[in-house]
Parts: sequence; structure tokens; C-alpha cells
Amino acid sequence: MRGRWASLSGPWSERFKPTTLREVAGNYSAAEQLEQWVKGRLAGKSGLKKAALLSGPPGTGKTLAVGIIARSLELDLVEMNASDFRTEELVEGIAGGASLQASLFGRRGKLIFLDELDGISGRQDRGGISAIIRVIKGSRFPIVMAVNDPWDPRFRPLREICEMIQFRRVRAPSIEAQLKRIARLNGIEVEEELVKRLAERAGGDLRAAINDLQMLGEGKRVLKDSEVGMLSARLQERGIFEVIKEIFSAEGVLDAKLAAEGATVDPEMLLQWINENIPSQYPDAGERAFAFNWLSKADVFMGRVKRKQMWELMGYVYELALGGAALARRGTYRYTRYNFPRRIGLLSQTKEVRGRRKEALAAIGREAHASVKKVATEYLPYIELLIESGKADEGILRPSDSRGT
Amino acid sequence: MSEIKEIMWTEKYRPKTLDQIVNQTEIVERLKRFAKEKSMPNCLFAGPPGTGKTTAALCLARDLFGDEYRKNYLELNASDERGIDVVRTTIKDFARTVSMAEAPFKILVLDEADNMTPDAQQALRRTMEMYTNTCRFILACNYFSKIIEPIQSRCAFFRFAPLKPEDVKSRIRHIASLEKLSVTPKGVEALIYVGGGDLRRVVNTMQAAAAMGGVDEQVVYRIAGRVSPKELKEMLKRALSGDFAAAREETMKLMVDYGLSGLDVVKQIHREIMGVEMDERRRLQLIEEVGEAEYRLLQGGSDEVQLNSLLARMALICGGGGPP
Repeated sequence: MRGRWASLSGPWSERFKPTTLREVAGNYSAAEQLEQWVKGRLAGKSGLKKAALLSGPPGTGKTLAVGIIARSLELDLVEMNASDFRTEELVEGIAGGASLQASLFGRRGKLIFLDELDGISGRQDRGGISAIIRVIKGSRFPIVMAVNDPWDPRFRPLREICEMIQFRRVRAPSIEAQLKRIARLNGIEVEEELVKRLAERAGGDLRAAINDLQMLGEGKRVLKDSEVGMLSARLQERGIFEVIKEIFSAEGVLDAKLAAEGATVDPEMLLQWINENIPSQYPDAGERAFAFNWLSKADVFMGRVKRKQMWELMGYVYELALGGAALARRGTYRYTRYNFPRRIGLLSQTKEVRGRRKEALAAIGREAHASVKKVATEYLPYIELLIESGKADEGILRPSDSRGT
Repeated sequence: MSEIKEIMWTEKYRPKTLDQIVNQTEIVERLKRFAKEKSMPNCLFAGPPGTGKTTAALCLARDLFGDEYRKNYLELNASDERGIDVVRTTIKDFARTVSMAEAPFKILVLDEADNMTPDAQQALRRTMEMYTNTCRFILACNYFSKIIEPIQSRCAFFRFAPLKPEDVKSRIRHIASLEKLSVTPKGVEALIYVGGGDLRRVVNTMQAAAAMGGVDEQVVYRIAGRVSPKELKEMLKRALSGDFAAAREETMKLMVDYGLSGLDVVKQIHREIMGVEMDERRRLQLIEEVGEAEYRLLQGGSDEVQLNSLLARMALICGGGGPP
């Protein structure tokens, strides 16, 4: 009795996994592209890349799609992931061996799957990537790899020889549908509001949403919205750097907008991040001007949102700013080191100096019957010339107690 | 000798009474009548910079109240203190208390009033009405169209014109004789030219020229070419050579060190662009970009983003991606 329950106690994300490609929520087309490529490779079609590189954030169905395809095409799935120790020898030993030998079970063939390649570290997996490339070149069987971030410079040699297939964040409505399906299969009645909320907080990660549902719903018949408080804030807080990278490497407007979903920075801050990083992402004058131009249009909308409290315009802000940042790119995405918005730092660092400076200008302004701004532009340059030629003392630029109104 | 009012000629030679004002004769005549009758309406002084608006207000106050005028006179700079809070507190506190000594009323000068927010102007309008017994308002501005109509209609309107060359010349001669300074005829012409009807700029340039070796044509033009904030020149130079990153750096300094707003910087760029040597078609393109940036700022854009966007466009137009 106990054993039977144990077999049913795994994560719901595993237990209620779909069995056909059609059901790969939100990423059916990517899954289908992969299936076509695998079929083509098996049929010996010419002109195909020798390996496929799946990319996409966690919980978007990469591993799932590979599993379904292997099963439906009756292939042996030879799988390795980052938890395996991946030295050059291991890669050659397992993947190399598997890629050359015919399958023991006499089926049609094998599908080699290297999952979570992001886990390859420079030191431990010395030569890992170059070993993989050697394996790919010599393999008779299709090799599929999965990474979160395909633009990591380490993967550049892989990108050149791989069919690139992108999995996107799963949109909230698709996540909602999956949550409802799973709740139904478990005989749980879930309030609509809760489903919406879970889908929202997941930030495009379907697996995370299902895990949250399980945490709340295990052993229950009814789930109310109020119970969401039980969940500690999910650390779907993807690092802001990752979010920025996804935005700049997005393929289209919607893609870029989705990348920002689930980011925990507020919209204004996000624009500041884009503002800060456009120049390093786009050293090319044309690309840079393009990205800034759209950002500046978004910025105008942002002003309207704030001034007139027209929050319904926020969608335009995101689409223009993030879409522009992504679509400025003419070639392929360039790996870039991103920076924190500097202004915040700069302003707080120089706050004291600026305060003193403003005080000095205001003191001059009181005597010259002029505003701070006017002193800065209409007096200061001349005063500096006077100081330079020894006709005035530098002290006049320092506010003193003796000089008041 | 570290006092601005002793050092700067603009202060040293600022007229003290209405009689000393050399230009704007019609305006001065009317103001003199106010002083004589000890009665005046609220006033709106509109005109370009350096045409004597603030000076006229000061002189009127002195003529009305004598040397102790400061007791009954308050000058506020709307671009420094432009919020509605200032109207509600500082202005009200001054306006509602009774004038000191023999003065029939107090005078409150709101300089750069066109920089007040419309909300603050609305509040001001009520304040103006409420304290007509105790206080007169003089609003000075560059663009009277930015003053809301209800206020315009409550004020006597004075339009200050740019100074005529002969008025500027007589002022230059006046200062030169008091400073025992020789000014070449070409130097006078150059001063008039770079001043463009703005007496403040004329006097400041003249003083700098005197300090730098003498008021002749060459020195005057050399100074005129140097007196915009040096960061601005540097920034423009960088942007026009396509070096975006350096241009952005300089812009940052300009805003942080000088406390300039994005709008100020854009206006300065506009002014400066006219003076830089370049292909005329390119100048046309740049002017369009500057105008677009100013428009977007007025539409509610933020300083940093809009300036970056402008610099990126300028760098693109002027070719080159800058160092990678």
C-alpha cells in the first residue's frame, strides 16, 4: 500500500507531463522544429546541421520535448546533464561511445541529449566544449543540447555548427490552462483568481507554476485565492542581468516584452537599465541611435503615464523601449557585459559636492538677482575668466558666512 | 574684495534709480509716474534676457521706498523656487503682512515667472487678488505666452525690447570712462555684436576682455567663443566627431556640476550649434534633431534618456562610431 502511494508522490510536473508534442505548452512550434530536424537527420537528409542547440529559460519544455520525440520516434535516449561530472574523458567515453556504436536493442537509433550545458565550468570541464564539438563531428546520431543562455561566449563555437532552436517563456494564459488541467486531474477545485496569480508569479516558467500549485494543493479538495500567502515569494526573481540580456537578444517585440515579465524591477528602473546599457550593447552608431530613438519615444509615454496617471499606457512603454532595444541589432546578438545604471551611483556620490556648488551659485545669484541656472550659464563662465586672469579671487566661488542676503 | 557686487561690473554699474536707466524710455516714464503717485498696478515685465526687467523693478522699489527699500521688497526666482508650495507659504507670508514705514504697499518681484508651473500660477492668481491692499506683484518673464491668461489680464503689461546699438554704446562708454579703460571702436562694435541686445552679456564680456588684455575686437570674439560652459563645448565636439561615449560623459558632468536640466542643455546645444563650423546641410539635420529632443522633453520625456538619444543621433549624423 505504502509503495503504491510512494510511486504517486513525485512532483506533479513529472507526473502530469504531456505525452505528445502538441501538448508542449507555449512552445509547440519550437518542439516541432526540433522533431523535423531529428527526422531529417535520421533520414540522412543533406544540408542539415549535425547538432541542435535548444535554448530558453528554465521550465519552458526543452527536456520535455526531447523526451517526447525520442519516445515517439522509438529512439534510445542517451542523456547527460550538468550533475554528471563532465570532463573531456567523460564526454568522449559516454557520448563518444554512444555516438559510434549501434544501439544494443536493435532499434532504429539513438538520440544523444546533453542537458544543462550552462553547467559546464571552465576549470572542471577543461576542454569540455571542444570535446563536445569533436563528438558532434564524428557522430552518426543526432545530438541535441540544451542551454539557458545560448549567447554565453563559451558556446560560440557550438552556435556555428548547431541548428538553433529557441524556447520562449510560456505566456500566462498557457500556464493557466495547464494549472487548471492538473488541478482537475487531482480533483482539486481552484479559484480562478489563484490560477491567475500563480501563472503571473511564475514569470514564464511552467514547471515553477506547477510546483507552486502542488505546494498549495497537495491533499486538498478546494484551493482559495487567500491561500497564496502560504507561498514564500518565489525567487523567480531572475537576476536583472539575465533579464537585460534576454531583452537585448530577443527576436521581436513580443519576445522582448515577455523577457521583462517576471522581472522584479519597476518599469522606470528597467528603462534606466536599458538606457545605461545601449552604448555597450551597440557600439555601432546606427544601431545605437536606433535603440535610443525608440527608448526616447517610450520615455515620452512613460512621462504621460506618470504625469497623468495613465497606467493603461504602460504596455506601449515596454513595447517601444524593449522592442527597440532588441530590434536595433543588425547581425546576431553580441555577448555584452552589462552595468548597473550609473546615474544613481553618480548622483549619490556627488550629492554633497553638488549641494555645495548649488549653494555657491545661489549665493552669487542673490547678489546678482539671478537664478542658479542663470548664474551657471551667464555669470560663471565670465567669473572663471576673471579668476584665470588674476582679477578675482577663487574664494568668490565658495559660499561664505559673511556673504548672505 | 571677495564680494560679487564689488567685483562684477553688472552689479557695480547696475542703475540705482529710474533716472539712471538709459533705455526703455517709455517704460521708464510710466514707472516714474507710479513712483511719483505712490500708486501702481500689478505688472508683467516681458522681454529677452539682459533688457533691464529686474533692474527696472529694483529702481522702482528704490524710488518708491528709499534706501530702506529692502524691508518692503522681496525678489523670488521662480526657476529656483517654482513650486506651488512657495506660492502658498513664502509669497503669502510676505504679501499679507502690512508694509513697513511710510510705504503704501510692498512689492514682490517674481523673476523668471514663465518657469512657474501652471498650478502654481493658478494659486498665485488667487494670492494676487487676495492681497491687493498690501502688496503689488511684478512678474518678469522672457515669454509672456507662458503666463496663464488670468494673470496676464490682472497685470499692466510692459514689453522690454532688446537694447538698441546706440544705447549699448553709451553704456559701454559710460563704464569705460569710470573704469579708465580704453575701448577701440572695433571693440565696441564687437561687444554690440556678441551681446545681441543683452546688456548683461555685453558688460560681462567687456569686463572679461578688460581682464584678459584689453577691449578690442580680437579679445572680445575670443571670449565670446569661450564663455559657454567648457563641458558643453567639449560635449559638442565629441558628439560631432561621432564619439558618443565621451559626449555622454561630458553631458553627465554638465548636469551634475551645473545643475542644468535636460531642457537647459538642449537649449544650450541649440545655441552652440549655430556657432560651430560645419556643412550647412548637416547643420540643418542637427537642428531638426535638437528640436525633436526639446519637443520630446516638453512632452514629458526624462532628461537622461532624451539627451542620450539626441547625442546618439548627432553622433550618427556626423559619422563614425567612435572608438569601440
